[in-house]
Amino acid sequence: MSATTVVRPGPEPGPAVPPPPRRRRGQDDNSIPIEYYGLRRGTVTAVTTLCVLFALFTLIPIAWLVINSTKTQANIFESFGFWFASPFVFGKNFALLFQNVDGYGVYFRWFGNTVLYAVVGGGGATALAALAGYGFARFHFRGSRALFYLVIAALLVPITAITLPLYLTYAKVHLINSVWGMLLPSMVSPVGVYLMKVFVEVSVPRELIDAARIDGAGELRIFFRLALPLMVPGLMTVLLLNVVTVWNNYFLPLIIFSQNQLYPLTVGLGLWSERAQNSGNAEIFPLIVLGGLVTIVPLIALFLILQRYWRSGLLLGSIAN
Amino acid sequence: MPESVTLEGLTKVYPNGTIALRGLDLHVDAGEFMVLVGPSGCGKTSALRMVAGLEQISGGTLRFGDRVVNEVPPRQRDVAMVFQNYALYPHLTVAQNIAFALENKKIPKAERDRRVHEAASILGLTTMLGRKPRQLSGGQRQRVAMGRAIVREPGIFLMDEPLSNLDAKLRVQMRTEVLRVHRRIGAATLYVTHDQTEAMTMGDRVAVLRDGVLQQAGNPRDLYDRPGNIFVATFMGSPSMNLYEAGLEVSGEVADLVLGGQRLSLPQSALKQVSGLAARHGESVIVGIRPESLADPGAAGTAPEPGTTLTVDVQLVEVLGSEQLVHFRLDARRVREEAELRGQLNAAQDSSAAAVAAESQGEIVAATVAGGVARVDPRAKIRPHASAVLAVDVERLHFFDPATGTAIS
Repeated sequence: MSATTVVRPGPEPGPAVPPPPRRRRGQDDNSIPIEYYGLRRGTVTAVTTLCVLFALFTLIPIAWLVINSTKTQANIFESFGFWFASPFVFGKNFALLFQNVDGYGVYFRWFGNTVLYAVVGGGGATALAALAGYGFARFHFRGSRALFYLVIAALLVPITAITLPLYLTYAKVHLINSVWGMLLPSMVSPVGVYLMKVFVEVSVPRELIDAARIDGAGELRIFFRLALPLMVPGLMTVLLLNVVTVWNNYFLPLIIFSQNQLYPLTVGLGLWSERAQNSGNAEIFPLIVLGGLVTIVPLIALFLILQRYWRSGLLLGSIAN
Repeated sequence: MPESVTLEGLTKVYPNGTIALRGLDLHVDAGEFMVLVGPSGCGKTSALRMVAGLEQISGGTLRFGDRVVNEVPPRQRDVAMVFQNYALYPHLTVAQNIAFALENKKIPKAERDRRVHEAASILGLTTMLGRKPRQLSGGQRQRVAMGRAIVREPGIFLMDEPLSNLDAKLRVQMRTEVLRVHRRIGAATLYVTHDQTEAMTMGDRVAVLRDGVLQQAGNPRDLYDRPGNIFVATFMGSPSMNLYEAGLEVSGEVADLVLGGQRLSLPQSALKQVSGLAARHGESVIVGIRPESLADPGAAGTAPEPGTTLTVDVQLVEVLGSEQLVHFRLDARRVREEAELRGQLNAAQDSSAAAVAAESQGEIVAATVAGGVARVDPRAKIRPHASAVLAVDVERLHFFDPATGTAIS
């Protein structure tokens, strides 16, 4: 579409113009009745109900976290789980979370670790995925296809299956209890590579690269000046995916870290709940609940921030053609 | 710096075995406007992309001036190219799009701005420099694509169907614009199109390609007046040349053409012009009649000489104001190749005759009935669904060998 103004045909005298659909209350002027699309109202209601149920199912644990983060340990176990109870101790819990309580108060440290792993690991994975995806999409070299299938194959291997060899390898190269032991594997994202390849294929036309080559641009310049800006919506998707993956990663840090101060939040909270089971009296449960809540808040924020890139990406695509 | 381009036996074989181009020989002088024309899939775009360096050369030699550039990467070839879909950088402004090549050459900013403005003013883009491509109309995008190419003052200018995405009116307007820009730069220009009208009107010379093989190259007038084979004869000109199989009877200095039940007498001069005919007594030849070589006999005021008319069944008359196109059937052996070509060319020809040709293809037409088109005076009273007599300009007939399809000279 060009930038020309679309002139909507106004009401004309003549038999060809159908009468405007009758409006229901609450509908805005532009809405078109569902029936227009050949859907029945009953179907729509059923589908909507299903969606609402699914949303509730997903949101209930989060609601529980929010509510119970305001309670004392006793109230967590004794009061009704889906409503608030007095005393309201959210502030006290929050303060405690970031203090050294009973020698376990390393939450702040763990939070920092998780941020480091997610930013460096997830960011690095995204950068590498962008380079690799672009390479696979727009360059053909000997073995490129085989190499790409190898990347896809990596998608299929569950980390549980390779724990032992991974651990032994790490031990050999001194990556046990090393930050790099967490960062390096986090920077490898086969899904990211695959997504970027597909995204480049649709959003960076071959002719654009041809034109840039004729215009005398080197390959690096083409990548950074032309391809990368067009890849932004895809990059944001992959970035979010990678950050979430690293942020929530439990298994890898569990096997490679034995030192408390290297733990990310996932393993740290796991450690807390283990201690809580064993030690009984200590007021740890409120911290675990609030700790869990604080853990997911940055991800929700990140999602909301990055969302607009997807929307702009969709728009860009529809206009470019 | 303007250079010449020489293609010697240029061949392109794709990895899947498709041969896109078979030994193309072509020379484009510095400052010459060469049009590569042919139906889709004829290899013209492959040829262009090889000159640009975007496609590897499978065989043959490519020279710019005296330099062999087969292995030179595109960014060092000093060619500029306009793409069919413009390939503008969507996130850059018009000014940035045009300046991109200059930035790559590390040309200082002041000089860059000066040249961008110069190019913009040549193309009437001065007020759009701050806009993004998506805010431009098709014609404006096309100009930006041209601007991006001319700002570099390239030695060689390549264009791949640059006007095919524009509407008909704008296309005609941009033709002159492209030529104006070409004269200004003076670079050797290779222009690819499937549109024979563009080829005829724009090219200093035209090279007609078919299935990766060069059919004929020359100035448009020559291609039109002396087509080297049936393909070129049919491809150049709209509506295209009528072709019929005819028997040839030579007696001394004159000859008769037998077209079904009718006869055309060839005068001495025609026989002299096409000396190859004399030796073909008793054989059949393919005779080509341009639509404008057929006329309404009434228009001349005098009765036509015997042996210079054909009686035809008129199917449809298109009144175009300045002329009439008379679509007719004729009792004569049609040339199969012609029908096939017409089908291929439907998309390429902008005349409404295409629709009629397609229609007559769909019907089962006996091999002994051939179609044809005449371009006659607008005042001629010719009615559809009746028979009519058309005067044939027997001095301007074309003859081809039925076996090889090449012109008899």
